[in-house]
Amino acid sequence: MRWLRLVEKLRVPMMLFPSIAILVVLFGGGLLVGVGQSFGYFPVIGLDDFTFAYYGDILTDRGFFASLWLTFRIALISTFLSSVLAVACALVLRDKFRGSRFMTFVFQIAIPIPHLVAAAGIVLLVGQSGMLSRLMVALGLTQTPGDFPPIVYDRAGIAIILTFLWKEVPFIGIVVLAVLQGIGPQYEEIAQTLGANGWQRFRYVLLPLIMPGLLSTSIIVFAFVFANYEIPFLLGVKYPQTLPVMAFENYKDPDLALRPQAMAVSVVLAVIAIVLLVAYKQLAKYAIKT
Amino acid sequence: MTVVTLNNLTRRFDNVIAVNNLNLEVNDGELVAFLGPSGCGKTTTLRMITGLLLPSDGDVLFDGVSILTVPTEKRGAVMVFQKHLLFPTMSVAQNVGFGLKMQGLPQKEINMRVSEMLELIRLPGFETRRPHELSGGQQQRIALARALIVRPKVLLLDEPLANLDANLRLEMRELIRSLQHELEITSIFVTHDQEEAVMLADRIALMFDGELQQFAEPNAFYERPSTAQVANFFRNANLLKGKRVGNQVETALGTLTIDTDRVVQPDGEVLLTVRPEEINLIPDSAENIIYGEVLTQVYMGTYSQMQLEVDGNQWLVHGPANFDAQVGNKIPLQLPEPRIWLLPLERKLK
Repeated sequence: MRWLRLVEKLRVPMMLFPSIAILVVLFGGGLLVGVGQSFGYFPVIGLDDFTFAYYGDILTDRGFFASLWLTFRIALISTFLSSVLAVACALVLRDKFRGSRFMTFVFQIAIPIPHLVAAAGIVLLVGQSGMLSRLMVALGLTQTPGDFPPIVYDRAGIAIILTFLWKEVPFIGIVVLAVLQGIGPQYEEIAQTLGANGWQRFRYVLLPLIMPGLLSTSIIVFAFVFANYEIPFLLGVKYPQTLPVMAFENYKDPDLALRPQAMAVSVVLAVIAIVLLVAYKQLAKYAIKT
Repeated sequence: MTVVTLNNLTRRFDNVIAVNNLNLEVNDGELVAFLGPSGCGKTTTLRMITGLLLPSDGDVLFDGVSILTVPTEKRGAVMVFQKHLLFPTMSVAQNVGFGLKMQGLPQKEINMRVSEMLELIRLPGFETRRPHELSGGQQQRIALARALIVRPKVLLLDEPLANLDANLRLEMRELIRSLQHELEITSIFVTHDQEEAVMLADRIALMFDGELQQFAEPNAFYERPSTAQVANFFRNANLLKGKRVGNQVETALGTLTIDTDRVVQPDGEVLLTVRPEEINLIPDSAENIIYGEVLTQVYMGTYSQMQLEVDGNQWLVHGPANFDAQVGNKIPLQLPEPRIWLLPLERKLK
């Protein structure tokens, strides 16, 4: 009987074992190797002394801080604008109107499309030889395609932000839309009969109700954008690069001696991301309460 | 404070007519019940008064002035919904003070008036509670306070007692009645429960299928229903076909005398009706007696209820608690002259 009870106790852990094992070995193992390398433990190239030197190198490098600022700025602007646009779109789409189902479908279409394709699309649309630029020439608004402002490969990262918006607005939007549909119209109707105008109904009734859903999705978006590599790699300038691009450039360099530095950048990136997310969550909790 | 007038008010949804040509006037400070089965257009009418729904036709007037072009938030017609629907993200004080905050009143004044209002609804000191910490009855009272605090021109209550258990209903009913009298706010409430309407309302507007059947004081629905359908809704299905000639009604079961001062139905084909509790089972004379066959008898504690067959119609009669009617027997039913009411004959009825 005792062994039966033991089997019963172990049943859930045993069932979870395969997935946990994969996680621990692949993810945890990789993490351990990465952190080890960032501290100078890289036996393959003969390094096995524990050191903070690589962290020292990057934290004294001005280029690193330029990258950090760029990464932070892109993530913050993308997240903020995505959230605002997503809420606006969700508010429009929740009403039933002729063709609203089709519009909702179109709104969500960007979700399964890979970021890479989105980036290519943005280049085709707003690049200097893109459709908008040509359209402006055709309309006689500009002389040559080169007169179109350089939005792609620009230092401000406008094309990067546009790509993220295109991808993340529907992502946040469908969550907010689902929340809005769950809330129903009655809270707003009560507020309206109590004298609240359109803005007041949104500010005091709807916003607090959608805030939890909006915050959790925007946290995901922020974390994703902050660590995203391919979009800034494809659409960004050579300097300053975002931190993930910087880390990857160092990582794939034929000179293996650069790899500990790449790992140090990645670890710092991860730590900053975690700190920002915790701060964001605390701030959000405070914002919901007041 | 406000007289509410509905003029030929009509609302269609696609091809369905939800409210058809509704005409009535709610007096200043009056408490009126819109009564009827679900889907009869009561709530649709309330929504048109608030402006949450536009009428297809007709007009809504406050003190004789059309308010159709006034947006909901400026009408001063506040609605309390069936589900209490306190804003879940706000405390009790924030909920109650919501309307005042929207008006831009200073926080100090809001706090003061919220405290007063909480005293009035007998929930003092509840300011910092959250909605999920309250019972259903407390939530309903807070919802009422939230509506009353803005001193609405018209208070609209959509099935305010529907989600409460029996004891709370009673308590809430008393509270609504006393607050409404104290504050003298013109109020309309929607209900499908005729008892609730009778106990609360000054007047009742009974609606079927989007049409107003009768708009009168509660006792009229018992004593002077306008149609057999209305009588039926007020649990009186005792009908007997006849023909009125002067002060008499000829029926298949004999000729009955009626009180001509009371009945309004003209001579001709009529339906005769008497409420179950007004039929005399122990006749005191040979006047106005018909016979019915006892189908069932149920002891109800303070009275006994019998089902009888009277000329092919099922009648309900209340007798003394100790009354012993043998099932299958034919017993005499005396219909007191002043209690007989005549209804127009409707074709679908026998």
